Amino acid sequence: MAVLRRVKDRIKKIIKEKKAAAAEPRRRRASRVTGGKKSAVKTEAAVKKVFIGTQEITVERAKFSYPGTMKVAKPMPQELPGAYGKDKMVLNVRDPWWLHSFWEVSMGTLERVKQALKDAFHSAKKTLRVYDVTNVNFNGRNANRYFDIDVHHDSTSWYIDTGGPDRSWCVDYGLKLSNGDFFTILRSNIVHTPSDGPSHITDEEWMIPDEMFGRLYGMGFGFGQSSPVGKAWQERMKQALFSGVLASPGITSAASPVKKRLPQDRKFWFVLDCELIVYGATEPDAAVTIQGRPIKLRPDGTFTLRFALPDGKQVIPCKAVSADQVEERIITPTVTRDTKREEKMLKEFTKGAV
Amino acid sequence: MKKGYLCLVLHSHLPYVRHPEHDNFLEEDWLYEAITETYLPLLNVFEKLVEDKIDFRITMSMTPTLISMLCDPLLQERYLKHINSLIELSHKEIERTAWQPQFQRLAIMYLNNFCRAREIFEKYKRNIVTAFKNLQDMGKIEIVTCGATHGFFPLMDACKESVRAQIRVASGHYESVFGRKPRGIWLPECGYAPGHDEFLKEAGIRYFFTDTHGVLHGTPRPKYGVFAPVYCRGTGVACFGRDLESSKQVWSSVEGYPGDYNYREFYRDIGFDLEFDYIKPYIHPDGVRISTGVKYYRITGTSNEKEPYEPDWARERAADHAGNFMFNREKQVEYLYDLLQKKPIIVSPYDTELYGHWWYEGPMWLDFLFRKMAFDQDTIELITPSEYLAENPRNQVIIPSMSSWGWKGYNEMWLQGSNDWIYRHLHIASDRMTELVRSFPHADGMLKRALNQALRELLLAQSSDWAFIMGTGTHTSYAIRRTKDHLIRFTRLYEDVKSNVLDMEWLTDIEYKDNIFPELDYRAHQ
Repeated sequence: MAVLRRVKDRIKKIIKEKKAAAAEPRRRRASRVTGGKKSAVKTEAAVKKVFIGTQEITVERAKFSYPGTMKVAKPMPQELPGAYGKDKMVLNVRDPWWLHSFWEVSMGTLERVKQALKDAFHSAKKTLRVYDVTNVNFNGRNANRYFDIDVHHDSTSWYIDTGGPDRSWCVDYGLKLSNGDFFTILRSNIVHTPSDGPSHITDEEWMIPDEMFGRLYGMGFGFGQSSPVGKAWQERMKQALFSGVLASPGITSAASPVKKRLPQDRKFWFVLDCELIVYGATEPDAAVTIQGRPIKLRPDGTFTLRFALPDGKQVIPCKAVSADQVEERIITPTVTRDTKREEKMLKEFTKGAV
Repeated sequence: MKKGYLCLVLHSHLPYVRHPEHDNFLEEDWLYEAITETYLPLLNVFEKLVEDKIDFRITMSMTPTLISMLCDPLLQERYLKHINSLIELSHKEIERTAWQPQFQRLAIMYLNNFCRAREIFEKYKRNIVTAFKNLQDMGKIEIVTCGATHGFFPLMDACKESVRAQIRVASGHYESVFGRKPRGIWLPECGYAPGHDEFLKEAGIRYFFTDTHGVLHGTPRPKYGVFAPVYCRGTGVACFGRDLESSKQVWSSVEGYPGDYNYREFYRDIGFDLEFDYIKPYIHPDGVRISTGVKYYRITGTSNEKEPYEPDWARERAADHAGNFMFNREKQVEYLYDLLQKKPIIVSPYDTELYGHWWYEGPMWLDFLFRKMAFDQDTIELITPSEYLAENPRNQVIIPSMSSWGWKGYNEMWLQGSNDWIYRHLHIASDRMTELVRSFPHADGMLKRALNQALRELLLAQSSDWAFIMGTGTHTSYAIRRTKDHLIRFTRLYEDVKSNVLDMEWLTDIEYKDNIFPELDYRAHQ
């Protein structure tokens, strides 16, 4: 469905780009010339320069002192902090099979870990230990099972493939030492992945035969009365469910839920149309009609009309009558539009021509 | 004899976009387009039905952000300017198309639409929420609430205080607008995680909706599938599951009604088609072409060659499609009634802006549907969830499954490579907000203002729309900027409060910019 919103998005992107281009022409040029790694330095220099520029204005403004100007406004940062200096690890569910975790280890905690592990710290591997804690009151040692994921040295988040719908999970971030021991630094919250199919549990009071449930299940997913029963229904349901065809459109104003048909093969096109502007002037108090319809004059007696001009002949009688009704003038232009459209020509593509 | 119920649900939402600091802000057009093309035409349909004494029921969620924008004097003023400019444009169009009758009559149609829109808008003294409230008071529509800023709850599970705040603030806001507590809620993006019904119960909310698999994958198995609501174990809050068959007929790009070749083509707009100097006053002041809402073509077919729109043909099709929808629901209900030995309820939720904004004939289709259902059949009864629960109080108790109506059915739309970075900051901000509430349980004066504003900024940062837009991968800069701006403002408020240095001037400035929920109480976040 992402495809469907592109038209409007494209427009907005163009606006943004235009704005950005207008705002930062110099900086853009600088980065284009230098390119590569240097551009970052250049950009930084540009930022510094802007900062210095602001400083200059501030200093100069201080010359024209008013009450109140002495108050120094706290500058607002434009970016979010890179870190918050707090130990934190959060685990979120993405879907029945995948989790996402992010974490931050504060400098203090990191120092303490270094002190505790001494030399072992440097050879240790940053690791996520993923515990299956389904139906367990987890205390760190009583998980049903666990598996480890080696993460990059400087990672602060990870997507975890559990392969296990309808289970409870907890994750530790820690260090795997060379002797195989695991040293926990952070522990996440516990989450439960949803089931990827119907529950196996049935309610005694609300019993339902399997076949009937299968039928209802298929109907709920829109397969109608012919919905498959038995094993087939689960598979068909999954296809429908995860294809995203019926997904929420998000902000509909900014999008459309129906597919935009893409232009054929080549991305080239050409449209042309004609309009006709009829304009003139007379005494401001005169009465003017064009093709019999009265029109409004500007205060100075001038007028302009604009017409979409279709193919064919347009006879345009324009009449002005003086305010005292004594004098009448008629001017009649005749305009003919005759549009020829030639067959599109496709030349052979030659290498190097582009 | 009535053999079942149909519960139509329209989810109405836009994120809070209001920029008093700019005269003209592109994203504010989302609201103006929605008012002209969806909300006013729908009101027109509903009011005509009432006038003609045709009984109907529809359930509508109206998010607190949308309501706040509809009630905002600045945006109302700007809307009036917007609609006046469209009226001016359609006058010019009538003149310009004098030699093209096939287009001129459409220009006249748009002039009438826009004038009618302005008329209704002014009839309600610019506040169309009043009109919806009246319809609710009459018992025709049931308005349900949503998360305060449409935060996506399943990804707030690790900071439940924020889920509670989203629900509490929404519920309080609803009460102030509609004069009673909300009975139901549309969970943002239909995002449910087991346990969140606890917060709904706290707020006195009696029901919510999930996507199909939210109910069908619940434990134990739901005996009636999605064709009867279930109660959540432990809280007794009712959960209604979406029926996909009726959804597909309207939504689907392949089988759905809106793709009919006689319907109006959405993508051909004079904002893009006409000569630049002529159209310039009606597009973005930077000269970027945008949709004006004046569209002259019908879908025609799959090629880019389009034929002029024929309103009469489209109207015929809308009537046919309404008849077809009704026929299919009758068959569905009859079949289910025999199978279940009980009256089924078909819950069909749609995005409100599908009607009118995207599918131009959508409001007309609804109008036909309601009229046909009143006169041409006796199998289905239109119903709201509240009415259903009053008639059918005995329902099965289960634990619904985590689910959403987003891409792939769970949380991935809002949790993927392009947007996952936001949660680190959102969760910290959530923790910090909880910490502030604990530290200052009885703040007043300027401190209270700062704490209230901190919650406003947090809520605004939590709007699922930002993550959604980032997830679509195009036009992401505004969404990124909004997320950062609110979080940066929150962070500064947190730091200022902690260090006891409050900057009155700056606080006043952001209160003016992010002015949503004037009655909000920061203690909602606990």
